[in-house]
Amino acid sequence: MTRWAMVADLRRCVGCQTCTASCKHANATPPGVQWRRVLDIEVGEYPDVKRAFVPVGCQHCEDPPCMHVCPTTATRKRPDGIVTIDYDLCIGCAYCAVACPYQARYKTQRATFAYGKPAAHESKRHDPDRLAVATKCTFCVDRIDAGLATGKTPGVDPEATPACVNACIAQALTFGDLDNPDSNVSKLLASNQHFRMHEELGTGPGFHYLWDQALPTGGIPALARLVEEAMDLA
Amino acid sequence: MTTSTVKRIPTYCYQCVAGPDLLTVKVEGGVATEVEPNFCAAEIHPGGGKVCVKAYGLVQKTYHPNRVLTPMRRTNPRKGRDEDPGFVPISWEEAFTLIAAKLNAIRAEGLLDESGYPRVAATFGGGGTPQSYMGTFPAFLAAWGPMDMGFGSGQGVKCYHSEHLYGEFWHRAFIVAPDTPRTDYLISCGANVEASGGVVGVWRHANARVRGMKRVQVEPHLSITGACSAEWVPIKPKTDAAFLFALMHVLVHEARRERLDLPFLAKRTASPYLVGPNGYYLRDRATRKPLVWDGARGEAVPFDTPGMDEALEGRFEADAIEIGPDDAVLAEGRLPGTTAFTLTVDHLKPYSPEWAENVCEVPAARIRRIANEYLDHARIGETIEIDGVTLPYRPVAVSLGKTVNNGWGGYECCWARTMLAALVGALEVPGGTIGTTVRINRPQNDRLKSVKAGPDGFMAYPMNPTDKERWSPKPNIRNAYKTMIPLAADGPWSQALGPTHFSWMFLDETPKGLPRVTPPDVWFVYRTNPAISFWDTASVQQKMARFPFVVAFAFTRDETNHFADVLLPDAVDLESLQLIRIGGTKFVEQFWNHQGFALRQPVVTTQGEARDFTDVASELAERCGLTRDYVAAINRGVACVPLKGPGWSVELDTSRTHSRDAIWDAVCRAASAELTDGKELHGLDWWKAQGLRTTPFSQLDWYLLPTLVEQELRFELPYQERLMRVGAELGARLHEHDMRWWDKQLEEYRALPAWKDFPGVWDDALREQGGEPADFPFWMLTARSMQYAWGGNVGMQMIREVAQNIAGHRGVIVNGATARRLGIADGDEIELATPHRSTRGSAVIREGIRPDTLLAIGQFDHWATPYAKDFGLASLNTLATMSLGLTDATGSGADVVRVSLRRIGGPRKERR
Repeated sequence: MTRWAMVADLRRCVGCQTCTASCKHANATPPGVQWRRVLDIEVGEYPDVKRAFVPVGCQHCEDPPCMHVCPTTATRKRPDGIVTIDYDLCIGCAYCAVACPYQARYKTQRATFAYGKPAAHESKRHDPDRLAVATKCTFCVDRIDAGLATGKTPGVDPEATPACVNACIAQALTFGDLDNPDSNVSKLLASNQHFRMHEELGTGPGFHYLWDQALPTGGIPALARLVEEAMDLA
Repeated sequence: MTTSTVKRIPTYCYQCVAGPDLLTVKVEGGVATEVEPNFCAAEIHPGGGKVCVKAYGLVQKTYHPNRVLTPMRRTNPRKGRDEDPGFVPISWEEAFTLIAAKLNAIRAEGLLDESGYPRVAATFGGGGTPQSYMGTFPAFLAAWGPMDMGFGSGQGVKCYHSEHLYGEFWHRAFIVAPDTPRTDYLISCGANVEASGGVVGVWRHANARVRGMKRVQVEPHLSITGACSAEWVPIKPKTDAAFLFALMHVLVHEARRERLDLPFLAKRTASPYLVGPNGYYLRDRATRKPLVWDGARGEAVPFDTPGMDEALEGRFEADAIEIGPDDAVLAEGRLPGTTAFTLTVDHLKPYSPEWAENVCEVPAARIRRIANEYLDHARIGETIEIDGVTLPYRPVAVSLGKTVNNGWGGYECCWARTMLAALVGALEVPGGTIGTTVRINRPQNDRLKSVKAGPDGFMAYPMNPTDKERWSPKPNIRNAYKTMIPLAADGPWSQALGPTHFSWMFLDETPKGLPRVTPPDVWFVYRTNPAISFWDTASVQQKMARFPFVVAFAFTRDETNHFADVLLPDAVDLESLQLIRIGGTKFVEQFWNHQGFALRQPVVTTQGEARDFTDVASELAERCGLTRDYVAAINRGVACVPLKGPGWSVELDTSRTHSRDAIWDAVCRAASAELTDGKELHGLDWWKAQGLRTTPFSQLDWYLLPTLVEQELRFELPYQERLMRVGAELGARLHEHDMRWWDKQLEEYRALPAWKDFPGVWDDALREQGGEPADFPFWMLTARSMQYAWGGNVGMQMIREVAQNIAGHRGVIVNGATARRLGIADGDEIELATPHRSTRGSAVIREGIRPDTLLAIGQFDHWATPYAKDFGLASLNTLATMSLGLTDATGSGADVVRVSLRRIGGPRKERR
């Protein structure tokens, strides 16, 4: 089997938002919609402060709450772990957006462009099917599928790898097959301390965070909570 | 191009000094839609071939609705911030006619005005990056003759000024960097490499962190780099010199001597040179070479005597001569001499960690621990093999940030940083503190070849003359770099390395002795916005309003081209053509294992009537009758590479003008020839398909030490005899002309830099404005933003959107306790004020900043640039005062302002 997963190395991430920008390019998301973004969080009080940058987005959960609440089966999970939305089935009820503990879903009611009227590149890529429906990170599933079809390896060959991973200038984002013990993500998780957000909810996120620095009181769960709080504030 | 075609076209982005980034642009049906890394470059690029966030703004830039897409002419003769320029579209023919008439009138009248200054001036944006976009315009500038390129737009306050000058003086390091891939311990005083180091900086440092490098970030706020460091030391602003001096104190007064690299100090520095009673080297009477004490012979001998056993420390007596400024013999005969090292040790005696604690508010124990950790990681005596050559291995380094580097205290910090490296032999060796590029010495594309033997066993340095015969009170340009700043030298970059604010300041009142500073008859502006980016922006705006004829290459309307007479729309990044050098070692953290060239090419059709810069330059040259000299300059290599080499030539006919593609085809062929020793002459079409080509560059060439050893030279450290001499001579020249307004700056020319009350400089400046420090208790600082720095991309919606994910891009960062004390809540509107000015923005409450410090990221406060004018962000530049008092001896000032802070009200509604 295959379980596609993302690993974000918080030792490496600098919050540059190159992944955010590359995602916007690759997926032509409208202003304000960031399927991938990086939070800037602080822990502690002056002068004992830590600051960290945390990439977030759809966690492609093992047991996605968004899927369970979807009344039209628009949201599904593929056997390889990627959670998808069928825009033809989605009615834009936004139950999924409410149910998602990771605030990963967006809904754009009407066409919006950077400066009001669409510029040439926006006209070229505007997709009316994405209006009034839920959207989110797809792990660049089209690239993965097209890459696999030509014998490429997602997470290794750029043509088959999510745009944010291709773009990351700190090698903070890694993508690969969790079910393959020799994959880049499996090796990273085997050799580093890591956590997932909202582990207690049992959603089984496919997004793992590496962190080797001193942990706040309460250990990894406390750190995860801080990230979660930051997401709520963001 | 049909609408169904999809292509990926290679090109480059060089919006910031940490570039270039090599990318591909996806073009669908003739429309650019997507930027991606050029994956083909992954193997040769030191940042994995990745592309920085700024490059992703290029698509939006191309199709920006507010672009100036036709030449425009001003119709309102009155200039001012509140005057509508009344720009109306004109044809290129009209625009060229208008500009050529002005230029030809100047050529007829004389290139210099009544003060002796060039009648034509030009200002370009930061760090030399516009040169990677302006095609052959440098050839037009070369053909023109004298031109004033010293009207600053950020130089001196927004760059790494002291480092540029002293770094290049001491170790051919216009920019200094840790040898990040090998450094194990890095003390970073305000260097924010994760925001300003570009792809390569981020890439290298991320690898180093995971490898285990410990970085200690010393900075008043918890910057991006601080966040990514093992330790944050919140130091009081402008006290870094005290911190660094205390580290040195621990090394020379508390650590055992053998923990220093004594052989390096003895053989590769001037530490053993004997200093005489008047502070100048004791010299051999016959040869006038500096003397050292030879322990083996028991006598003083010239520094280059073979087989000697140099005494590093001690006081001796020698038969010698001591020569001071202007070749004056200060003493002769049996003279007492002290080694430069001993003098340095004595000099550092007062600067204990306990002393520094009171100055920089960092606990003495912490300073001492950091100094000892630095020593613990220095690996004295160890070696490493690089490309088959054995070199010293010293994996410790110190880096300095912008505000640490600039203005008062910059000299002291640069000296301390370089000395911290020298004391443990970590200067220009693997793992240590090394330089990336030269801009003052030549050749600019080969740092090692720029090393030439100079006086006293040191490297030569092209100081501006200070002797009576050659020094002149009549400078060649308005900022007077040649007259006032010996270290700025007189090369192509020197105009921008002088006190570039003088050009603006002295328009009001030129100080005694200098010819009256005049507005230029014609001013060209490109990729820069000094009305926003310089200090004292209101004053800069008032002065540019007096310029009679301003030609601005304009992307959109902005605060500077608001004062222009003609706007010219140049083809932007994805529309135009140029070949540049890449690789080797250069600028910020750019250490490659390859070198070569990359092409920027039109990936889409040019929008509107925008024109490629090369076409504009060729047309201007022709209309000014300069074609012959212009093409000759291109042939010489002004447009990237000489068009002739051993056994090959692709030189252009100088008797006629050439098309853009013909010029760059020749340049491409020359570049191919250079890379293949003349075997291949691939032209433009080949380069358009390939995008780049490189050859290997040895990592050995990252380090200067082997070159010094080969030439039997020493680093000019620790004692600054030459600078002291130059300063004394400069002072004498100025005083001979009754010029005493530079006396405070002359005090900086000390052989051993001492701590001065640097924060007090800003207290004094405040008092001069009628304020009292107690009423303006906050230090307002600024910091670079990864998303914006150098990019000229403030009008890009996408850049703003993603930047806002990072704290500080929505307002001014205020410490939490300070905010509570003043009743300020996150998002509240606040006012930061000096005695006469104020700026407003929103409060961003964070814990990672000193209670006495406020941080405004980037440079904003726009009022004309579409989109950005609605941001409502506070700007330090609005408050900063240009003054002689805040100018150091190298002609730079620091990005620091003392301010008050008060709450205005609840969250201000965003203007957009």
